[in-house]
Amino acid sequence: MLRHTKLAAAAGMATLALAACSSSGADDAASPAAGGSEGTAIEGRAPELRIGAVVDISTWVAADAAWGNEATYYMAVYDSLLRTSATNEVQPGLAEAWEYNDDLTELTLDIRDGVTFTDGTPLDAQVVVDNLNRFREGASPDRGLLDAVTDVAAADDDTVVITLSAPDPALEINLSMQAGLIASPSTFDAPDAQTTPVGTGPYELDAASSTIGATYTFTANEDYWAPEDQHFDSITINYYADASALLNALRDGQVDISNLNSLTQIPDAEAAGYTTNSIPVNWKGLILADRWGANNEALADVKVRQAINYAIDREGLLQGLESGYGEPTTQIFNVEGDAYEAELEDAYPYDPEKAKALLAEAGYPDGIHITMPQTSFVPASEPELIKGVLAESNIFIDYEQAGESFFGDLLGGAWSAFAFGLNQEPLAWQTYNQAIAPGAAWNVYHQADETVEALAARIRLGGEDGAAAAKELNEYVVDQAWFAPFYRVIGAIVTADGFAITMKSGQAVSNLWDITATA
Amino acid sequence: MLSFVSRRLATGVGLIATLAVLTFFFLQFGVSDVAQRIAGQQAGPDAVAVVEERIGVDRPVQVQFADWAGSALTGDLGRSWFSGQEVTEAVMSRMAVTVSLAVGSVVLTALLGITLGALAATRRGWSDRGVQFLAVLGQAIPGFLMAMALVLVFAINLDWFPATGYTRPSESVPGWLLSITLPVVALTIGSIGGVAQQVRGSMIDAFERDYVRTLRSRGLPRRSVVLQHVLRNAAGPALTVLGLQFVILLGGAVIVETLFSIPGLGPLALTSTSQGDIPVVMGIVIVTGVVVVLVNTLVDVVQAWVNPKVRLS
Amino acid sequence: MTTTRSSATRAGARKGRPGLLRRLLRHPLGGVSMVVLAVVVLVGALGPFIAPFDPTETSLQTIFAEPGGDHLLGGDSAGRDILSRLLVATAFSLAGGLLVMAIAVAVGVSAGLVAGYYGGVIDATGAWFTALTMSLPSIIVLIAARSVMGPSMWWTMAIFGLFISPVYYRVVYTSVRAVRNELYVDAARTSGLGDVRIIGRHVLLAVRAPVILLMAGVIAAGIGMQAGFDFLGLGDPTTPTWGQMLNEGFYNINRSSNLVLWPALALGITTVALTLLGTALRDELEGTTDKRHSAAQPWVLEEDVPAVMDHGDEPAGEALLTVRDLAVAYPAGTGYATVVKGGRLSVRRGETHGLIGESGSGKTQTAFSILGLLPKGGKVMAGSIVFDGEELVGRTDAQLNALRGSRIAYVPQEPMSNLDPSFTVGHQLTEPLVKVLGMKKAEARERALSLLARVGIPEPQRAFDSYPHQLSGGMAQRVLIAGAVASHPDLLIADEPTTALDVTVQAEVLDLLRDIQEELGMAVLIVTHNFGVVADICDRVTVMQKGVMVETGATRAVFESPRHEYTRALFAAIPQGAPRAPLPGVSSAGSLGAGALR
Repeated sequence: MLRHTKLAAAAGMATLALAACSSSGADDAASPAAGGSEGTAIEGRAPELRIGAVVDISTWVAADAAWGNEATYYMAVYDSLLRTSATNEVQPGLAEAWEYNDDLTELTLDIRDGVTFTDGTPLDAQVVVDNLNRFREGASPDRGLLDAVTDVAAADDDTVVITLSAPDPALEINLSMQAGLIASPSTFDAPDAQTTPVGTGPYELDAASSTIGATYTFTANEDYWAPEDQHFDSITINYYADASALLNALRDGQVDISNLNSLTQIPDAEAAGYTTNSIPVNWKGLILADRWGANNEALADVKVRQAINYAIDREGLLQGLESGYGEPTTQIFNVEGDAYEAELEDAYPYDPEKAKALLAEAGYPDGIHITMPQTSFVPASEPELIKGVLAESNIFIDYEQAGESFFGDLLGGAWSAFAFGLNQEPLAWQTYNQAIAPGAAWNVYHQADETVEALAARIRLGGEDGAAAAKELNEYVVDQAWFAPFYRVIGAIVTADGFAITMKSGQAVSNLWDITATA
Repeated sequence: MLSFVSRRLATGVGLIATLAVLTFFFLQFGVSDVAQRIAGQQAGPDAVAVVEERIGVDRPVQVQFADWAGSALTGDLGRSWFSGQEVTEAVMSRMAVTVSLAVGSVVLTALLGITLGALAATRRGWSDRGVQFLAVLGQAIPGFLMAMALVLVFAINLDWFPATGYTRPSESVPGWLLSITLPVVALTIGSIGGVAQQVRGSMIDAFERDYVRTLRSRGLPRRSVVLQHVLRNAAGPALTVLGLQFVILLGGAVIVETLFSIPGLGPLALTSTSQGDIPVVMGIVIVTGVVVVLVNTLVDVVQAWVNPKVRLS
Repeated sequence: MTTTRSSATRAGARKGRPGLLRRLLRHPLGGVSMVVLAVVVLVGALGPFIAPFDPTETSLQTIFAEPGGDHLLGGDSAGRDILSRLLVATAFSLAGGLLVMAIAVAVGVSAGLVAGYYGGVIDATGAWFTALTMSLPSIIVLIAARSVMGPSMWWTMAIFGLFISPVYYRVVYTSVRAVRNELYVDAARTSGLGDVRIIGRHVLLAVRAPVILLMAGVIAAGIGMQAGFDFLGLGDPTTPTWGQMLNEGFYNINRSSNLVLWPALALGITTVALTLLGTALRDELEGTTDKRHSAAQPWVLEEDVPAVMDHGDEPAGEALLTVRDLAVAYPAGTGYATVVKGGRLSVRRGETHGLIGESGSGKTQTAFSILGLLPKGGKVMAGSIVFDGEELVGRTDAQLNALRGSRIAYVPQEPMSNLDPSFTVGHQLTEPLVKVLGMKKAEARERALSLLARVGIPEPQRAFDSYPHQLSGGMAQRVLIAGAVASHPDLLIADEPTTALDVTVQAEVLDLLRDIQEELGMAVLIVTHNFGVVADICDRVTVMQKGVMVETGATRAVFESPRHEYTRALFAAIPQGAPRAPLPGVSSAGSLGAGALR
């Protein structure tokens, strides 16, 4: 079951052509043979790309990497084993080809030949094995991505075999993200590994003109194996710690492309001449975590949870909190995934009277009180608005000021319900592992449910039955009101004149190679 | 003179040592879950334990401090717990930026403050009131409001200066000057007032001195007495105020740098303190302390040069 | 001498002194800022009660609502009523500023009192703490504290107050040190008062003014710091403050500028008013006010001035200097205090003339009038001063400058304060020679050295290179005499040239003056209260009492047959082994403060 896509085959051919070309010693730029696809010559490269970022990179160590907004940084200097296209189609990366065994527990990767790290170290199977093992043992917040992996071994110089304890439908996607980043072995134990990355990627970090925590400058890696993906001679990422600073930078046209602290900045950016590119990324809403009533008895009653869902004025909150940039929903699964069901978008229409009636049925005629955390990450107006909306249905929120240990407390189950935004993962399996599975981080009380587990077992195996099970899971979770989603928020990236981007579904940032100069 | 300077510096070293101890132990209250934060939200207890061991917070506080102080004495301030960057490198490169802002601002403050103060003191009357009022206005408007207003007018509407960011002098000197102009002005406006008032006060004071009358009785024109004798004698107190301003400006730079997205100490201080990145916070405190002690000593030396009584005793 | 002007104004102010509050209200800046602040405080106090809506009540319908209707200032990004938020934010912002001030005063003043009063270890600790807070920008500490204690406005403000408390500490400490050894504290202690009561009764009184003075500025600093902190998103998001509103406002500035406008105005106006109030307070408390004197009444000489009793023994020939019916006045209250009121005095070439009188009789003012160097506020109101045939009254400063230093010279009373401490003796001697007499540098230097030798300074070169504080009083006076006579003036005005000197030196300086007078043939006007001096070197003498020249004549004649009752009283008062009796009719300073009119 070789899973080369057409695109992948084309890319592979382009690479072969290039390899031939560079082995003949000819200058890349002078080689018309490399043509056929777009942007093969260096002349096609634009001089500079200035990216505005709202998140700083926390570490350059590939084994400790996070993703989300930080992905741009990693994609500049590292390659991953596989790639995903803007539509989440899996494509070759440092692995030219990959293949599962029949029971989906062994993945064989064919590592690309002739790739070297920017420090000159050649890439081989052992380097890949070491990287994967380091990620499994590393400090990445997402090291659970490889939880299903039991063993990684090099079969020969350019073949790696990954053994799984059970099928993992998300493995390929995970290998296209932080779990699949490959760093040079020279950085493994280097004391400055956190600040000095060495990868095989399209760009190299220019430490001399970078300031950690503020500005990062990258220059094109002239030996890159896929020069058609290098659209710029140099890239600068400016990190803006303050929202006002980012706005001022936008107003003054100091960045070519930028993501935003808040969608409310879109009008400002557009007023300054930027174009908005958007795609749904997160769903935002309440996670009704305490479904067993451990801390808040009322939440154990499905009627109460449904009442909360009926109490939410989704359209109003979308306008109020996100200026309308998004779409109301009651489901947490990605629109493009197997689990999505259009009918579920409006499963709980806004109806305070019905909410009150449900509460009364559940034995709470006077309403209920829920304690939720409030942080300084979001403007104070946001929790206030949510509180105001719910209060109309006699659902009273008491806010508790969260301290610096907010995340630890949150994930440790300090609050029985809380407002949050979660990524809409491409695969239903990923969403399950993110927020539904007993071990999922965002199932903060780690509750197990027989119905859910039976469905999960089917999703794991994929195929048509897996897709059907995903839909069933979605229906079940909506019906049981495990969550009270408000809406899907769009992820927005603004581009200046002369720059274009193809947004990536379910991702805060796009693939770096999907950012191009149009002028 | 030499013994005077070395005495001042010795006091400074004691001060910095105290500062180090107090800060270190104070910060301990905030680090309860720093390892969890480094390891990430979802890290389990084992991963957190690994991080704790790596950064050494599993040891008793006094051992941690002794360890830190030992390396600090050799000039090694350790590495950031979060970014892994060497603290010395991080703080020094950023301190250079902040100090250039502060120095630019002090110079501008001195020039404008002394001119305005002298004007107010010599002219009195309405020009005095005018200068005082402007100075007060600058002093009263919070720096961040001033910064936002400056950016809106001079960067975005007029497009004379970049709205954010910092160009290193090594890349382009004109670019550097352009990039620090607005932040320096934003910092300066607040401090001119204080210095102008001080200069005005000292000059009015100096005007009433007996020696001014005696010099005038020798036929020296008022103007030359003001320029030489009155200003020179008012310089001492003005210098003291400027020295104080420098410290205030270092603090003000935190806000201004954040708003202008300038990679100085400010943003680093903000992130490191809120993260609980003790090595970086300690680095900032120590280096800031050193700079302040040096500046104060410098002020004293210049003070002594201005005032022969201090110099010769 | 340094206190001349301020004590004059202060004395004037003391006369029927209105309360501080009324004076502040009358102050051009103080009045306006007080009114503004009163409104702000009122809003702050009533704000939470008069707010039309709950400031945290959100509504999806009023998000960015236009001003008008129910929502006078419109709605914010969460549909909250901007007016209500502004009202409540005013209360919180003011409370924050007041907390800073309260903590700073409580800590700073009490520590300053204790350290200043007892000294020792407490003193050293205070100094150490002060140095510590000064060597670290407070904002770094605030951010660190926030990470430890969470985002609480009250904690932040309290710590900032602690950080700013050295401002008070230093002021109080200095005042207490100064007061501590003053007589009345000693007296209180010997009379058995306990330390607490002494601090409470005497010392606190002394530091009251500086403490009040700093309050406005500290509150403004607190409010500003709080706003900046909130603006960076470091504040407590649940507490509506101006900074919090600005933070959200700038976030949405493109959608509604309303959100920024009001808190920015409130913040700006309040801090400006506070700072201006601080300035006004200083003006009123320290008397540095620069009121253009708007005397309600024009100056008039209220009393009849009796004619001077002239012994009529004036030698024939034209006088070099004639002072006639001179009147000098200072603004005071709504009118004037007249310190010199007339009389006549004339000095011939080569004559040494004594101007004698009690402290405050107006003799120094007369001397300054001749020089055209009256202290600030003083003005010649009437009369004439004729020097070598030219009328000096009414001349411009530049015209007088042509005479000063070349034809009229001046030797002051207090040698040390009359030399600029920042310049060498040589510099101060040569500067006028170069700038006024147009000498070359080297020439001026030579002249200065020879003058120093002439006035009897043993090592002229060394004195030339010295700073004033390295000289003794006698030496300094010789230097001043050298400077005065450098231009071979026609008239030398010496204002109590020996009073500040040791008795042994006095005679030497008088001898020197006499020698030089003879050598140069210049006229000398010696202002003194010492009959010995007059008897010693004066040809003629004029007696002054309460601003009036009462008697004039040859020294011998006046000494032998004093005609004016005051002159006789002066002679009677010359100490002859017994303490002198108070002089009849002498209340030395008249309506002005003591020491004002030396």
